[in-house]
Formats: sequence, structure tokens, C-alpha cells
Amino acid sequence: MARISVPTTARLPSSLRVDPTNPAATKILSRLSRSSLISVALDWLDEINLPQASPYLRQDEDEDEDEDEVDDFYPPARSLEELRDIYTSLQARKGSKREVLERITEGDWRHGLTLYQLAMADLQYLYDHPTSQKWSAYRIMPLKPPRDPDGEEPPEIDRQSLTIPRFHPSTFLKTLQSQVLPDVKAHYNFDAHKSLPLLILRIFILDSPYNTNHAMQQSTTSTTAFDSSRTVYIAFPDASPHVFISKPQTTTTVNNPGSNSNPRTGDGRRGGGEGVGVGVGVGGEARSLRNLLVEGIPKALSRPLRRQRFALQSTSLVTRNLAELVHRRGGGRANSAGAGWSVYYRTDDDDSRKTRETPLDLVLPSPPLSEQETQSPAVAGTGGGKRSAPLPVVASAEERREERAAKRARLVARARFAGTAVMGDGKGVERVDVVIEDPFPEVGEQHQDEDGLDKENTVERVEATGRKGRRRKKSRVDEASRGAAEDEDGDVRSEERGEEGAQGWRPYVRLTFHGSHVFAGIRQLVESGIIDGERMPGWMTGEEGVTIGAVRNGRIRGHKGSGV
Amino acid sequence: MASNLDEEIEDLRARVTTLKKQLRVHASTLITAPSTRQLLSSAPQPDKPTTTLTLPTHSNQTRSQTEAQAHQKNLLADALAQQQAHAQQCLYRTCATLTTFRARDPDPRAVDGGAILGLRIEVVSRARFLRPYYVLLNRPFPSSRHHLRVHRHTLPPCIPMAGLAVRYLAPPPTPTPSGSGGEQRRVEEKKKQRSRQDLAKFARALRREVVRYHHRLGVVADLRNAAGIGRAGYGDQEEEEGEKGDSEGRPSNRLVDISPADAEAKHLSIEWADGRTGRLVMGDDGEIVKLVVLGENGRDYEAARGLLGGAVRIEDVVKRLAALR
Repeated sequence: MARISVPTTARLPSSLRVDPTNPAATKILSRLSRSSLISVALDWLDEINLPQASPYLRQDEDEDEDEDEVDDFYPPARSLEELRDIYTSLQARKGSKREVLERITEGDWRHGLTLYQLAMADLQYLYDHPTSQKWSAYRIMPLKPPRDPDGEEPPEIDRQSLTIPRFHPSTFLKTLQSQVLPDVKAHYNFDAHKSLPLLILRIFILDSPYNTNHAMQQSTTSTTAFDSSRTVYIAFPDASPHVFISKPQTTTTVNNPGSNSNPRTGDGRRGGGEGVGVGVGVGGEARSLRNLLVEGIPKALSRPLRRQRFALQSTSLVTRNLAELVHRRGGGRANSAGAGWSVYYRTDDDDSRKTRETPLDLVLPSPPLSEQETQSPAVAGTGGGKRSAPLPVVASAEERREERAAKRARLVARARFAGTAVMGDGKGVERVDVVIEDPFPEVGEQHQDEDGLDKENTVERVEATGRKGRRRKKSRVDEASRGAAEDEDGDVRSEERGEEGAQGWRPYVRLTFHGSHVFAGIRQLVESGIIDGERMPGWMTGEEGVTIGAVRNGRIRGHKGSGV
Repeated sequence: MASNLDEEIEDLRARVTTLKKQLRVHASTLITAPSTRQLLSSAPQPDKPTTTLTLPTHSNQTRSQTEAQAHQKNLLADALAQQQAHAQQCLYRTCATLTTFRARDPDPRAVDGGAILGLRIEVVSRARFLRPYYVLLNRPFPSSRHHLRVHRHTLPPCIPMAGLAVRYLAPPPTPTPSGSGGEQRRVEEKKKQRSRQDLAKFARALRREVVRYHHRLGVVADLRNAAGIGRAGYGDQEEEEGEKGDSEGRPSNRLVDISPADAEAKHLSIEWADGRTGRLVMGDDGEIVKLVVLGENGRDYEAARGLLGGAVRIEDVVKRLAALR
């Protein structure tokens, strides 16, 4: 260790050790389950990681120290093999998490856990709990002088518009480092995601000008410098000009003891102006750090020497689900062909579609839905074979009509959603916010038109938490509440009047869909006939791939979703 | 017991699907056979082999029988027409590789009544037709009915579709607030020029990009094959073997990995067994732009020369590697 600590702009070295009693270190470790803890420990003992995660081993020469360590509860192991065996045996037998945790912090790594180890443990937590972070997707765009804030106008035509941004991890890191302020130290760790085509960069920010042990010692006195909200993840999907940046957890103060114990920093910086709570204060600070990073990312990606400068553009997709992000913003074909359009790229559902694709196959393709139609009774039969058999015999006209309606609803759902938005596909968004900007339908208008708009002017709250527990509240904005609403939304109305002229009254309607898999929930509602699938507007199928949007004329406004 | 039954059901179901598939194949083979077509076109008689496909009818009622026969005849004619149309479409798709089709947007609030023009771009790679790429266009501009806009597409993000769309499918000019002066008029003029759309050029440029991209990917695969890097997993094994016994070959300057390093597959990262790494940059069409090899002591010009050997195009490197091997 260096005797003198000099403030530099260099990054924190991976081999820097953190005292295992540090609350942040114990927090990171104690979040993991027992099995992940053991597997992480075994990973540390792997040949590749060993230089940056060496355990505390007994040296042969200090025999005399043995007497001191007789009462040591976790006597240091003599060799790496012995240690590996210990952890493998721990893996095999049952026990408490506490046991493993104490063995790590008080035994084998009593001399400190390196930042690299902490990063590995933290990433393990991310893999164990894939929805623990909230990600927002950004598109990497060529930097242009700002022309049109809405993005409605197409960008200028030049060669630049044809370049696809490129990403080189180590160069990126070097440039990003130079963008971050010198009084903030960060530790960076790259890791390839285990199951998704992603490269994850974990940035761990320390509020210290030193990059030696001093940074750690400071942090033991004030825990906020060492907070989990200061961990920022950036994910780079393979072969895609997008980046996903994790949002700091501002509201979850439960698993954030550091922010609770230290109200000083939060209020000191923000003057307590928010008055919401301590978590917000610290979160706000972390958010500003994050903003600094977000500003740094495009600069780090840019290459001024090649006259290539990039900017990040939000793509209005915020979710906890990385699989969904990779699906909608990744390197595949699904980026701007969501929901029903997925028939144009899907490969994995049935082989009749696969054969349809090559022009050398002369077999007449069956329409995509007819095949499903013949299969659906068979599928239903697996569930309740006894029930489905006598059904055609005793089916009354009423039942048959119901049956037909249900079948039709299923078909419509299939037409609108194709193979997407299925409950168990693991690609769900938890929250969709939509603002309706359409004018209120005139009372004297034709019946059809009013019906069409009726759906959009209702406030729906769909809880799609699985099969049951679904709730749907439908409150129509009716004549009586008009006056009140008009007063509230006077500003909005007048503003838009100026834009569109006397088009009529526009109520401020905002829909929030909330659930574990929003679009699968809507699909279920369509399948059960609660939502009329044929009249349902397209944005309710999730085909735009956005979670925040404004609807005008029944469509999500702008070009943000469709990629053009 | 129950599991047995389930297995049996599964088996039967699998058989049903294969039989169905076979039935479809046979039906289309039969109906496209020249003899069948001849039979169908020259007024077919009731007791031809085609009657094996008949629906069950009441036997002894001549009137209904003739009706049924007429019905069957219609069905067969329909099937024939469909099959022929499909064959023609396949032919166009195979030969032109760039075809259009019409589709409908299921969104009830879709612009232009949901009318969609689809572009289908076929890609052939390694003697196989890949799944085609689709671009779906609509006409969202109420002022000018002939202007198209890309609505949905299935192109990967490494194809600069947005840029091409801006270039060839510019939106119609928006009526600007009237201003005076030559500057304003020139801008208008420019805008008008820009707003001329050219679908054919767009489609050609797009297809060119797609094909280039796949060729680049193909060349990477060729390079890997030529360098003997094989499939993932196999390579590691070979590497270990190489370190142990296979030392009479070229143990130190053997290539261990060649992989595309960016989205467009224009950059290739190359790794040697002795830890040297290289980066090869190729142009759009596979011409070599640059190759940098970094060894332990900075740049290794010799290795770069050794790899390229005066090659101008990436295919030359493939040949070279294959010859060296």
C-alpha cells in the first residue's frame, strides 16, 4: 500500500480492499442467498479471479503465531485447495447463511474484501434478482445541433445519419473516466451477462478524492459515501446502438440502511426543500451523480478525432425487465415490430410459419390463424379432458354462441398480439403511462365515432397480477364532471387550443397500467372478452415498445417507438 | 400409468402433426403435378382419381351428387389457383429477392384505413434462404397521398434504415409560414427537392445494406473456418491440445479467435495464441481498410503483414489462411 495518498483522477483499483466490517460490504454480501454466496466465494477462488480476490491464508513460516490462533473460530486455511474444498463441502450440506457470511468476513477474507469481490457479489445479486434494478433505455444518436425538441422533424440528411455507433469497452472506460469529476472516485467492473447478450458495467461511486485506502477509511466514518444508491449499472446490448442505464433506487429505503442512518448529507445538500424524506435527499444526490454519468456516456462513446460525436436520446422505455429491454432495444429484429407485427420475425412458435418463410417451399401456407384454430380444442383438452368431451353433445344454442365468442376473442387476441405478451414469457413491463391528447367526442356526433373514442376517454387501471386479483375500474368522464375538470385543466386546454384551433375540449386523461406484465394482462382481458380486441387502439398492444407516451388520434405520437 | 397415457397422447399428437404436414406436402405436390393440372383444366369427369378427396355425400341422390361434384370442382379449381399464385410468388421471391405485398394494420385507429405496403427482402447466406426482412410502409400524410413512411420493420439496428428512410422517403414538405426573400424560396425549393420520394431507390439501397451485412458476417465465418477456429467449445479443446502436443505446427502464431467486434460486423477482433490481439477494419464491401496488431511491445507490424500478405479484400485473407493451413 502506498504511504502517501495523492488525490488523482485515476479510477479506483480493483484490488483495493474494504474492511469486511464496513456496513456497505456486509450489506452487499448479506443480500445474497446462501447458495449464491458460496458460488461467489468459489468464483473468487477461481484461478482467473484469484489475483484480485486472494484469501487470507496461513503462512508456513509463522508457526509461532499458531498459539494465538488456537481460539480462532475460523482458522486460516493452508492452501487454496483446502479452501476450495471447504466451500464445496459447504455447498453440499445444509446450513445457515450466517455461517457462510461470517466465514467470509471473519475468516477467509478478514484482511478485507477487494472492490472487485464486492462488484462480483453485487452482480450476483443482480443475476439472482433480475428485476432489482429499474432500467431506462437510451438510443445512441449522432450528435446534431438541436433543431426540434419534439423530434418530429426528420434529421438532416448527410453521411452521418448512416453511421452506426460503435462501442469498445476499454476505450469507453478510459474516456468515461476522464469525464467524471476528479473529486469523485469510481470503481468500474465489466461483466458479460450470464443469459442475455449484454455487457454490464457496474460503476461504484465513492465520494473521495483518494484512490487508496484513504477512500475506504473515510467511508467507514460516514456511511453515505458507500451507499448502494451510488452503484450505477450501465448495460450495453450486443450489436445494438442502445444503452440501458439503471435508475437509483430512491424509494426503497428499506434495503438502504445507509440513507436512513445519515440524514445529514441529504438535507444538507438539498436544504430539505423537498420535505419528502431522507431517501429522496440522498437519492437526489445520487441522481445528480447519475446525471453526470449519463452526460459522460455519449462523450465517452464519441470520437472527436474521427468527427463522430454522439448523444443519448431517451426511447421512452423504462422497465425493470432486462429481457424485455433486450427484446425491444437489442440487436434483433423485434425493435420496431412489436405485438401483432411480430409474425414477421418470430421463429419459435410453430413450424408452419417457419416453412412459410423460404421461397423454395412450394407447400401452400395455411393462414396463420387457421392452424391455431384447429389446435385450440386440443390444447383445452389437456386441461380438462373430461369436460371437453361431452360438451358438443349438450351444447345449447346459448352455450355455442358463448363458445364461438370466446373463440373469436382468442383469435382476435392472437391477431393483435401474435405470440407476444404471454404471461410466462418473462418479457413484461410493470408500468405503462399514457397521456391521451385527443379531443373529447362531441355529444351530437355519430354513434360510431363516440364509441370509438369512448374507450380512450375512460380511465382504466388494469392490475395484471396473474390470473386473479385483476381489477378494472372504469370511470367515464361524463357531462357532470366536465365543469370541474375544465377548471383544473384550463392551462392544458388553452395551450392546445392554440395549436389545433377550436377542435373541442380536451380533458386531461392519463392512464396508468400497472402490474407484473402489463400487456399480457391486457391480452388476457381481450381473450376473456372484457376488452373488445377489434376496437382496441394499437398502443394497448404494446406494439410501440414504449412505456411512456402521449396518444393523439388514437396513436402514440411521434416516432420514438417505431424507430424511424 | 398416467404418465404412460400422457406419453401416448403426446406421441399421437406428434404423429398427427407430422401426418398433417405430409398431407399438405402431398396435396401441393399432387396439385402442381402437370398431369393433375391437365386433368383439372380439361373438364374433369366425376370418377377420376381426384374423387378420392371427396367429401362424404349422400350416395343415391343424383341431384345432390352433381351439386357436390360441382362444389368439389370449384374447390379444386380454387386450390389450383391458390397453389399457382403461391408458386408464382415464390418464384418472384426467389429470383427478384425484393418483393412487395399488401397488408392491413390491425389497429382500428391506424392511418389510411390500415393499408400497409410491405417490402420483403430475401437474404441468401451459405446457400440458404434466411428469414426475409420486412419493411412495412404506410401513408400517414393527409396532405399528400403518395408519400410513404416506414411504419414497422424487422431490420436489425445495425442496418442504417432510419438514415436511408430520411434520404429516400422524405416526408412531404410542411407548409411553412409565408416569408419573403430569396433565402426563404431557396429553402422551400430545397425542401421540395428533398421531399421527392423514391421507393425503388430506397428498397435497393436497403437491400444492398442488408446483403452487405450478411456477406460480412459470412466472411467472418469463412475466416474462422479457414483459420480452423471451428465452433465454440471445440476451439478450446483444440487450443489445449495445441499447447501440449501439436507443437510442430505453428503454436505461437496460431489464430485462436476471430469475431466481429461491432454491430455492423465491420470490425473484427483477432486473437493469437500467444496473446497478441488485432483489429481488422473492413469497408462496406469487404475491402480491408486497416489492420492493427498489438503484441507485447506495442504494434506488431510483422504479424499484420503476415496475416494480410498484400491482400486488398477480406476474401483474399480467407484464401490465404486456407492455403496456409
